[in-house]
Amino acid sequence: MLKQFLLTLMAGFMLAFTMISHAGSTPTDDVRTSVDAMLEILKNEQLDKEGKRAQMSTVINERFDFRAMSQRTLATNWKKTTDEEKKQFVALFSQLIESSYVGKIEAYTDEKVEYPGEKVKGRKAVVETLIITSSADVPVNYKVYQKGDQWLVYDVVIEGVSLISNYRSSYQEIMKKEGFDGLLAKMQAKIDELASTPS
Amino acid sequence: MKKLLLIFLICTLPLTVSATESRRGFIETYEAEPAAGEEAAPPVLEEMETEGTDEETAPFMDDDDLSFLDEEDDVVEVYDPFETFNRGIFWFNDKAYFYVMKPVAKGWRWLAPEPLQLGIRNFFSNLRAPIRFVNAALQGKFLDSGHELTRFGVNTTLGIGGLFDPAEVHFGIDKKIEDTGQTLAHYGVGPGPYLVLPFLGPSNFRDGAGLLGDFYFSLVPVVFDSSTSYWVAISADIINFLAIDKDTYEGIKRDSLDPYLFLRDAYSQYRLNLILH
Repeated sequence: MLKQFLLTLMAGFMLAFTMISHAGSTPTDDVRTSVDAMLEILKNEQLDKEGKRAQMSTVINERFDFRAMSQRTLATNWKKTTDEEKKQFVALFSQLIESSYVGKIEAYTDEKVEYPGEKVKGRKAVVETLIITSSADVPVNYKVYQKGDQWLVYDVVIEGVSLISNYRSSYQEIMKKEGFDGLLAKMQAKIDELASTPS
Repeated sequence: MKKLLLIFLICTLPLTVSATESRRGFIETYEAEPAAGEEAAPPVLEEMETEGTDEETAPFMDDDDLSFLDEEDDVVEVYDPFETFNRGIFWFNDKAYFYVMKPVAKGWRWLAPEPLQLGIRNFFSNLRAPIRFVNAALQGKFLDSGHELTRFGVNTTLGIGGLFDPAEVHFGIDKKIEDTGQTLAHYGVGPGPYLVLPFLGPSNFRDGAGLLGDFYFSLVPVVFDSSTSYWVAISADIINFLAIDKDTYEGIKRDSLDPYLFLRDAYSQYRLNLILH
């Protein structure tokens, strides 16, 4: 009887521990894992530019929540769009965000990234990072939210400038003048342009 | 001191007028200027915010209700009544950048070793230390102000006329950007209409007027005291800055659907962030 009780207790503890260690990844842990992976890819000399981009894309897609980003970018217009339009927008927008983010990260290949701190507020958190370069320190903050046991990025704030707020105001302005279809057409044109001009 | 106050008043007066006039039409933020914020936040926007959060259970967003992400949305609406004019200047700046400034900057980037470029940047930054010192003090940030004074002393002497930045490297005293535009904002002056300045780029009525104050406190015109040498110095500073810069503008142009809008919003957010800190 006692033995059984002890065993149950032990099993309970073990279960509790595994759960703790599982849920134990902090926002900074998650962001750091992805950022480190990306810097690793950028430094990998065996990969050509295309190979690097492809691998970076995988890392980014695991960490960035493009649907949350799309929703926040379209704001009130999100619910005015049909499911099909939403899908289209998310597909185009994720390519643009990815390209823009990769472009920025690529400029800082050989630099060191520091993690001065994080602020957690319920299911939301801000992970502060500082890119140390020879000419300046660039603060890049990641806004993340908890989804399951992961923290996903829903905005990137560079030197106080939120990528999503920025997209939101530009896109709303374009939608006002050219409608949602006009916006989608512009996004597609930009993606084609990015694909045809190697940066 | 009297002169200082006078300049300050001259800068502020036309602005307060334009600022109060413009507040009706737009907001920079709810928090930045609490005095202006209450009346400035148009009810329409508030409505939009809450509206946007309730119906997010569309089938496509199957897994999660993400409306909780929206609450801290910082809505930055830029008041831009002179958009056509601004876009003209923007076009001009774009051409000046790609056809004149950038080629020269690239040449300089190739020619000068990076330490020299950084030295020149530090030198000009050090000459602008009084701008940061005075404006931090005017906003009651006396610790920051003291830091700037220390930085100026250390970097002018140990840093050989400001070419080096031992204050940061060895003593860990960081530079903090403060300028007259931020001081004006601190005292409740709204940004006023958005403005694109020739060569200098994004600004607004308040920050543009702030440049007058910055000019007054800067030591650059003191050291380069003829108008020719002043303009040469300013041009050298800008070219040198562009040589160090990692092609930010090219990136923006490549990424955004409308670089004008992107920069307009980025500038407003950037300034807001500086004002709040």
